[in-house]
Amino acid sequence: MTSDNLHDRSPVDRLPVTCRPLLMTRRAMLAGAAAGAAALWAPRQVRAQTRIDVTQGTVKPMPIALPDFIGGTPNDGEVARNVTQVITANLKRSGLFAPIDQAAYIERITNIDTLPRFPEWRTIAAQALVTGRITRQSDGRLKTEFRLWDVASAEQLTGQQYFTAADNWRRIAHIISDAVYQRLTGEMGYFDSRVVFVDESGPKNQRVKRLAIMDQDGANVRYLTRGDDLVLTPRFSPKTQEITYMSYGGREPRVFLLNIETLQREVVGNFPNMSFAPRFSPDGQRVIMSLQQGSNSNLYVLDLRSKAMTRLTETPAIDTAPSYSPDSARICFESDRGGTQQIYVMGAAGGAAQRISFGEGRYSTPVWSPRGDYIAFTKQGGGSFGIGIMKPDGSGERILTEGFHNEGPTFAPNGRVVMFFRDPGGSAGPSLYTVDISGRNEQKIPTPGFASDPAWSPLLS
Amino acid sequence: MKLPEMKTGLAISALFHAALLLWGLISFAAKPLEAKPNDALPVDIISDKQFSEMTKGVKNAPKDAKPAPLVEKIDPSKPVDDSTAKVTPKKEIDAARNEPQPPPPAPESKPKAADAKPEKKPEPPRVDPIAETLKKEEAKKKAEERAAKAKAEKEQKQAQAYDPTRIAALLDKRDPQRHAAAGDHLSQNPGLGKSQGNAAVLSQSEIDALRRRLAECWNPPVGASNAPNLKVVMRVLFKQDGSVAGQPLLVAGTASPFGPAMAESAKRAILTCQPFKMLRPETYELWKDIEITFDPKDMFGG
Repeated sequence: MTSDNLHDRSPVDRLPVTCRPLLMTRRAMLAGAAAGAAALWAPRQVRAQTRIDVTQGTVKPMPIALPDFIGGTPNDGEVARNVTQVITANLKRSGLFAPIDQAAYIERITNIDTLPRFPEWRTIAAQALVTGRITRQSDGRLKTEFRLWDVASAEQLTGQQYFTAADNWRRIAHIISDAVYQRLTGEMGYFDSRVVFVDESGPKNQRVKRLAIMDQDGANVRYLTRGDDLVLTPRFSPKTQEITYMSYGGREPRVFLLNIETLQREVVGNFPNMSFAPRFSPDGQRVIMSLQQGSNSNLYVLDLRSKAMTRLTETPAIDTAPSYSPDSARICFESDRGGTQQIYVMGAAGGAAQRISFGEGRYSTPVWSPRGDYIAFTKQGGGSFGIGIMKPDGSGERILTEGFHNEGPTFAPNGRVVMFFRDPGGSAGPSLYTVDISGRNEQKIPTPGFASDPAWSPLLS
Repeated sequence: MKLPEMKTGLAISALFHAALLLWGLISFAAKPLEAKPNDALPVDIISDKQFSEMTKGVKNAPKDAKPAPLVEKIDPSKPVDDSTAKVTPKKEIDAARNEPQPPPPAPESKPKAADAKPEKKPEPPRVDPIAETLKKEEAKKKAEERAAKAKAEKEQKQAQAYDPTRIAALLDKRDPQRHAAAGDHLSQNPGLGKSQGNAAVLSQSEIDALRRRLAECWNPPVGASNAPNLKVVMRVLFKQDGSVAGQPLLVAGTASPFGPAMAESAKRAILTCQPFKMLRPETYELWKDIEITFDPKDMFGG
């Protein structure tokens, strides 16, 4: 546009030169719009993201390879092998892992600091691999290292190193088992824990009952009392290394507090009435028990420091076997106020109790899971005893095992496994068994003699 | 306003309206509305997966081979069903011939150890000219029959004193009349088609086969049963041969303590299950980049 007359020019041309590049002429705008439309209509590779849903899988134990730990020095070979065996037994007993037989391994691990040859582990269908090394230090301690590998993606999932006294090698094995369990299942482990129980020996009419404590796999059994008195219902403190139990020494049964490390006994209270089933509160500061007055029994809470007793129930019924919820807010207990033994839930300070068991039979010995999601109980009916679990509101009742005569459930620290005792009757005595809360994988725990009344400790570490 | 004209108009209009209404009243009221009875249409609700299974086939697929009859024994020399075989002419029985007829074969009146029924061979037809002989023969036969029957009954009674150790003796010792179907190659199907056909198992689209394969390989963590709404979404890139390119990537997941274990189980399932041979190279564009959602809701009852 070269006309001199300003009005002949387009509006854009009339602008000062500095502004012009920022505006578009109508022609330009039209051209741009046409180009845009053309681009829109042009054939374009439009493809939606392919999505699929997988809603089914199979639940089966994970195949895991556990070659023997390497001994850092030639003398350490034996303890390394022992540690591997304890870990393998733990994982296998949990029912969630399937350790592969060592004879099938193709690669021989000689150095845990180099990458394993994963294709060889894939050939034997291992999904995880644990390698480790134990070296005795100059001061006598054991240094234990382990690595957990994911075979499919050829990566290390976790690795740790521990120092401990030489005779503590079992605890290291349990700690490593917990670490592997937790990394692969997402749940807390339960292997580094102990079980206190009543060891029974002697003929059936003259049973000697002693308090005993052992590792959860049955090793390291230690007796805590001598067997002069009849002992019942030992319970672990959740915070300290203490046990409460009931002992029938002398004329009246009393509740004792026993320190595991020092073996010092202290009488919790000298009550003129019989006491049943004392249990600790989750903070370890209080003990809840039931005291009998005449023909009924009621629940009481004893503060261990101030020794103050608080009464929780005032019914003319038998209320017994109380257990705290892990948040200390509620308790579950067994009561026959409704006519037969049933399970009730009540606030920890007392008040109205709500019945949660409604099936056919009599419910007793309720115990709250450390995860708070289940209450385990003994159910008696139709001539058989069953150990079952139900949710704290009473729904989802499921019987884990049935027979004659199962009793006394106690939860593992991760709430996944329940231990109970079974007395087959006759001349044999009771034994300890564990079962997964899904009802599967019932295992017998080896004890030196007969055993009953187990109580599972929290994790030691 | 011109009233008279309006009046006429009004009157006519009113008349016509009334007529219309009357007609409508009469004609519409008489007929009740009837719906034609329809055949019930069966309706099936199917999932996407089933739909793709059903519509997978190709319209112009080649037909299967000729239907093969049942063949249990290989014997090419003996055709099972020779419908075109010639009918062998039977021997003509000339009623007028005076030849002495061979005596009818006597019924096996001597019962075998456990033969409760006497066996009779079919008799050739009798002819009149030798009726006498015939009658005599018949009489004799009848007498023999009765004797045989009596003996057979006695035998039966004896056999009824059941002896379990002699079961083998009780079995029929005749040769099996029924011969195994023979042909020149074995075929277990007594009818049409091959024993392995696509009719029994509908062919699946590749995506469904992939889902099934992953379901076989996937082991969700056991704790997932307690966690509601737990799912993870993994993005997987595939190579042409069906193997996984790189590592599966976690795209999304429910926040939960079991989340990492769940994601790892999903990753493990994908990596362990490869190569996915059911994915065809021709449709590579469709499956080279897939987002897979792992949700155990169907497993643990929701």
